[in-house]
Amino acid sequence: MRPFDYVEPETLEEALEILAADPDDTVVMAGGTSLVILLKQDLIRPARVLGLRRIAELRAISATDEGLVLGALATHGMLARSPAVRAHAAALASTFAAVATVRIREQATLGGNLAHADPAQDPPVTLLALDGAAVARSRFGERRIPLDTLFTDLFETSLEPGELLLRVELPRLPVAARATYQKFLPATRDDYATVSVAAAVATDARGACTHARIALGGAATVPLRAREAERSLMGRRFDDAAIREAAALAAAATDPIDDLRGSASYKRAMVGVWTERALREVA
Amino acid sequence: MTGPTILDRPERRLDGDEKTTGAAKYTADLEVPGALQAAFVRSPYPHARIVSVDTARARSLAGVRAVLTGADVRGQRLGRRLQDWPVLCWDRVLFVGDRVAAVAADTREIADDAVRLISVEYEELSPLLDMDEALRPDAPVLHPDGASYRFLEGRGERPAVPHPNHQGHVLETHGDVDAAFARAARTFEHEFATPRIHQAALEPRAAVVWVEGDRVRVVSTNKAPFNLRDQMAATLGLSKDRIVVDNGTIGGDFGGKGLSTDEFVLYHLAKATGRPVRVVTRYADELTTTNPRHASRIRLRTGVDADGRIVAHESHALFDGGAYAAGKPTARLLVEGGVETLEGYRVPAARHEAATVYTNQVPGGHMRAPGQPQNVFASESHLDLIARELGITPLELRRRNVARPGDPTTTGEPWHGPDLAALLDRAALDIDADRPRPGGRGIGFALGVRHVGRGSTTISLRLGRDGTIEARTGVGDQGGGQHTLIQRIVAATLGVDPVTVRVRRLSTEGPQDPGIGGSRVTPVHGGAALAAAQALKEKLGGRSVAEAAKALGTGEEIVVSAKFDATASDHGACAHAIEVAVDVDTGAVRVLAAVVAVDVGQVINPVGLRGQLEGGFVYGLGMALFEDLALEDGRVRAANLGDYKLPTIADVPPLRIVHLSDGHGVGPYGARSAGELVNPGVPAAVANAVQDACGSRVHTLPITAERVWNALPAPTRRPSGPVRS
Repeated sequence: MRPFDYVEPETLEEALEILAADPDDTVVMAGGTSLVILLKQDLIRPARVLGLRRIAELRAISATDEGLVLGALATHGMLARSPAVRAHAAALASTFAAVATVRIREQATLGGNLAHADPAQDPPVTLLALDGAAVARSRFGERRIPLDTLFTDLFETSLEPGELLLRVELPRLPVAARATYQKFLPATRDDYATVSVAAAVATDARGACTHARIALGGAATVPLRAREAERSLMGRRFDDAAIREAAALAAAATDPIDDLRGSASYKRAMVGVWTERALREVA
Repeated sequence: MTGPTILDRPERRLDGDEKTTGAAKYTADLEVPGALQAAFVRSPYPHARIVSVDTARARSLAGVRAVLTGADVRGQRLGRRLQDWPVLCWDRVLFVGDRVAAVAADTREIADDAVRLISVEYEELSPLLDMDEALRPDAPVLHPDGASYRFLEGRGERPAVPHPNHQGHVLETHGDVDAAFARAARTFEHEFATPRIHQAALEPRAAVVWVEGDRVRVVSTNKAPFNLRDQMAATLGLSKDRIVVDNGTIGGDFGGKGLSTDEFVLYHLAKATGRPVRVVTRYADELTTTNPRHASRIRLRTGVDADGRIVAHESHALFDGGAYAAGKPTARLLVEGGVETLEGYRVPAARHEAATVYTNQVPGGHMRAPGQPQNVFASESHLDLIARELGITPLELRRRNVARPGDPTTTGEPWHGPDLAALLDRAALDIDADRPRPGGRGIGFALGVRHVGRGSTTISLRLGRDGTIEARTGVGDQGGGQHTLIQRIVAATLGVDPVTVRVRRLSTEGPQDPGIGGSRVTPVHGGAALAAAQALKEKLGGRSVAEAAKALGTGEEIVVSAKFDATASDHGACAHAIEVAVDVDTGAVRVLAAVVAVDVGQVINPVGLRGQLEGGFVYGLGMALFEDLALEDGRVRAANLGDYKLPTIADVPPLRIVHLSDGHGVGPYGARSAGELVNPGVPAAVANAVQDACGSRVHTLPITAERVWNALPAPTRRPSGPVRS
């Protein structure tokens, strides 16, 4: 690891000023689980690392009238255990509980996870299905970034230089909505998902679909919403035929990369299988 | 022969306290005052000519103490037997990661910076990336000067090879194979493939080398220090007694640490700077540039009579040796465990052709039972396929064909070893083979047979006035429990408490020792410990150890030394039974339960043995399901442990180990070797269970979900989602 300056401000304002002073040569560290690997492998050589851990306000998890607010410094472990997160959507808590191993979960943060934009990660998929939006701030003000526009490519986000990710906001789910996260782990238990699917669905008294969100992981270079699949469900009876059609549309929406976890065609087929399983789970 | 009761008590490992408290000193922990750090310039191409190397900018960097290129060490090659691997390449690079230049600097960071400042101009050459291409008659020859390479002395000669891109080649026959095939009622032929996989020891390689007067001092992670000394002497043109290898604690080996590649250039850097030079290999370099298990392609053909009894067998096995044969210590330059397919069965006539092949890939080396997991995956999968074709159960086919004492085995030698049918029956009983199972569930069997190692070593014992005994040996303990084994055999033989026996490892200034490997330590070092303890007993002339100690004057001690040569032929054996569940929509395999019935003779270290057997199973499970170094255009894709997936404890099913023994092991007190016994059979047992569960036959390791899914019989696989091309 190369020498660098390490600064650990007490307040958000201080942090934003440090970042603004030299945005190109400053990297932000939340839990550090990914960043430290990049530093140790000499893949990045920042002049300065800006540690956020003393900024307590970024750690808060709270339920509001509008929904749920998750601080960027909340760890995966905190989120997995949080009664507020569970009350909002048990699937969200179980998504965080399914990441990596206990050592990683107690260190890795929500904000770090989103900013790192690793397409194999779990939380972005469920957050996307729950209509999450990130809130970022720079010296010039705050900006709300819907999660489907946050991820732009492999390890790339739409965060601007000088911007810090502060929190994720989730709107209340429609009454009677059910959500799930399905992670396909055909190799070791600690591996990244080959593909993953999050779904949130609500139906009315007649069994017709009033709300449908399907998000896919491992299906492209960024987490995807399967919008055509969602549209195919809306207003329709949420039955076997509807589920199969939506699963087929979700698979068709993918553009997976060939890698060690599977060929593109296998991943595409698996998105079909796991979308079907996810939808049956919430049916 | 039944051992004394001391051996039945669970042992307290000699290295346990220091490892669990963190006090153990590994090579990387060694603080050598004034040591410089080395780093290497590595080839980005699988095959290229070196046009020029410009080191001027690196040399002028502050803190850089020496820069060497291939031109400085031209002609020097290293290796365990055939020395074909350049200390630094001077004319051509033969794999991605081959070393072209080396730097010694004040810090690792400066050394890394200097490496980046060295510019190498290459002329790319077309690489030979697969074995068929390499063995074409008109293929470019990767080692045109191969005939001039040094071949280190030892047992056996390097045989002639039919193609210059062969590293080793053998054709062995016993019986009239063609006539036997002609008599066969039915003949079956199948082909199997396995990828490169890595030893993945927790501790990466490390070394420190310095020059002290006329001595060259080496501390390294090599598990056979005398062999490293001999290799360095040959490569560097030094006499053996000038080099002293004195290794510290070794953090796992699994065969990989028989090959050292850095110590040679570290010597040159130490000489150039007058200072110690050290290197600790990064894990990415471990995975991408060292000596993984050979990838293989094995074709088997077997003829059976009307009762399903094997009458004739032949095998053609190709092992991808990569750029250099340096990682193989045997005279034939083969992975010997890969030659004799269908080991453990009665085979009246057989022909085995096996070869290792030069390609522009990572050089292959030794790994836990070298060659055997590839062989057993092919052999035991082949048997299941034959059973299915014959309409008899895989277990029944094995029962009819396992070798019984005196039966001709696949080598033509009569069988010496455990009761194999008893092991199979016990494994079948314990997995409850006859119980009906729901759809998607299946069980698979495999037999594992491993020779008990041979060789010789010397162990001395010193009894002091305080009544304690010090055993001195040239062998280290890389985690396998070697020192505890020596301690317990000495204690058991002399009837003393094991805590009164210490084990001290000597450097290469002590008596010659073959090091760890080849399932050798239990019979060889265990045998020497027994012989030394018996010699001491004799010298005591009927007195007890305590009585003899009391009679000693100040500074006096009783010293005995025994050289032991283990020559007897014997095998350990095990039978695997594994139950799996397959998700037929995805191909995902879950191992639900496993039974390993083993015969390893008398147990010396009960706790250590359990570790070896359980660890061997998990090791085999990784090969079966997960591990693949996955080269693409000569470059390792799984270059970190996030992508190169090893089993975690959560991936390990409930495992039952059942001990049977015929009581005839040739090792001390009737012991047999155990470290390389269990892992080879696991992949075939899993593959056989997968076919039993869902009909998918996977011929290529690892058994990934995608491979299982692709091999599902048509009606099983449900279409789900349109597949875009």
